[in-house]
Amino acid sequence: MTKLYNDPTDFREELIEGFVAAYGRFVRRVPGASGVMALGAPWPGKVALVIGGGSGHYPAFCGYVGPGLAAAAVMGNVFAAPSAEQIYRVTKAVASDAGVLYCYGNYSGDVLNFDMAELRCQEEGIDVRTVRVTDDVASAPRGQEDERRGIAGDFFVFKIAGAAAARGDSLDEVERLARKANARTRSFGVAFGGCTLPGQSAPLFTVEPGRMELGLGVHGEPGVQSSHMRSAREIADLLLDALLAEAPSDAGATVAVLLNGLGATQYEEMFVLYKDVHRRLLAEGLSPYKPIVNEMVTSLDMAGCSLTLCWLDAELTPLLDAPCASPAYINC
Amino acid sequence: MGSSEIAGAVVRRWLALALEVITAHEEELGRLDAAAGDGDHGATMVRGLRAANVAVEKTSDGAGRLLIEAGAAFSDAGGASGALIGALLSSVGRALGEGPYDAATVTKALQAGLSMVMRLGKAQPGDKTLIDALKPFVDALAAQPADQSLMAAWRAALPAAQAGAAATREMVARRGRSAKLGERSLGHPDPGATSLVYLLQAMEAALTEECA
Repeated sequence: MTKLYNDPTDFREELIEGFVAAYGRFVRRVPGASGVMALGAPWPGKVALVIGGGSGHYPAFCGYVGPGLAAAAVMGNVFAAPSAEQIYRVTKAVASDAGVLYCYGNYSGDVLNFDMAELRCQEEGIDVRTVRVTDDVASAPRGQEDERRGIAGDFFVFKIAGAAAARGDSLDEVERLARKANARTRSFGVAFGGCTLPGQSAPLFTVEPGRMELGLGVHGEPGVQSSHMRSAREIADLLLDALLAEAPSDAGATVAVLLNGLGATQYEEMFVLYKDVHRRLLAEGLSPYKPIVNEMVTSLDMAGCSLTLCWLDAELTPLLDAPCASPAYINC
Repeated sequence: MGSSEIAGAVVRRWLALALEVITAHEEELGRLDAAAGDGDHGATMVRGLRAANVAVEKTSDGAGRLLIEAGAAFSDAGGASGALIGALLSSVGRALGEGPYDAATVTKALQAGLSMVMRLGKAQPGDKTLIDALKPFVDALAAQPADQSLMAAWRAALPAAQAGAAATREMVARRGRSAKLGERSLGHPDPGATSLVYLLQAMEAALTEECA
């Protein structure tokens, strides 16, 4: 249950205000728009990475705004894509002569609104490109990878694209690297309990006691399959079976790993799970690179977690390692 | 509805009634959406209609202009429904222009709106979207005898929209957010088609009040 709010219809507005009040050392509000931009942006000569989506997923999306990451984030209402008008205003605020890359999870509302904003910007002569994150293997079968939705894999794609932009890469190059990062990133999740929109009395979905949902979405969409509850070790195997079967064809042995909490799952529980994830990765001959066990893309108060693997190579690793400073992720 | 003032009054009244009926069904629409999607449909529709109502308060234009304003305001609610319903209202408004507001002109305007929504959302009939209620309605409206009043034609076409929305229960989503869950969407009517029927019913009520 979402407990802290005043008028639920003001939820987005109040969260933006509080976020900017707390993290004014990184970000400021985009004047007249539902979004935040990095303090120093626009950055002349550098591609502006603009990310965004519905609220309810913190640190996605506003938590990843800052040097080395996104120039701005457009913030929709809870679980609703931001409107094309808001995306347009935020883009105008941070666009540089080097162009703009839109990066967001692949959901129809986001696609509709970002595409409309992209068209409008292009009509005004701003070069805007788009890379949609499609890491969730549960959401569409192999062969339809472009149809998949974006979940915690957002983080790796944003980080890599943001680092390329900060390095001064051209728009063509930033787009290519973001696409490559997405093509090599896979996620799969489990949920143990639903989430509740602010002001509503019942969760969007429930999980029966003793059961769990496989392949859940970050909007509280129920999973693609229901199962009896398993031990942490069995869940680790189940997550990895799903991901390893989907390894990209040119996969090497080094993988960035993110075990992501969805909002109401305790950190120590995730470490227990990670122990088995780590052991299995080593047993498979893979080498986990700077693993992250944290909440990086959440779903309000949903109980559950997802595992993301990003198969690295000599080109992607330095971008993942590059410095950045944002409210939710600092790498120095 | 004959004159431009009357048509404008009907549009305002329709938006007020639509907000009332969608607010009453907000939780139901959210639950339908949550069956296979993200559960924001009811909240987004309420937000869009609130903004549309505020937008038409500020202007005394004719029906076409009012719908364009309402559509722009509705779009800013975000989400897929904000973009699609906003574009529907605006494109109907543009096609309607200064009237006349008879059944034939309104039908043509709705046909323009339908093709705009299909182009934007890239959805076809049978994909389990609002198109499955809107297209049967527009087709039924076009099939009414030419000499019918707008109200009579609207009322006669409504059952086609209701049947279309009910039929989405048996469909598997191929577009929209619920498409990601494929078979899970089976057995629940599409929230977008369901809310569209409420919007069309609100217009019937607004037209009826105007005649009474």
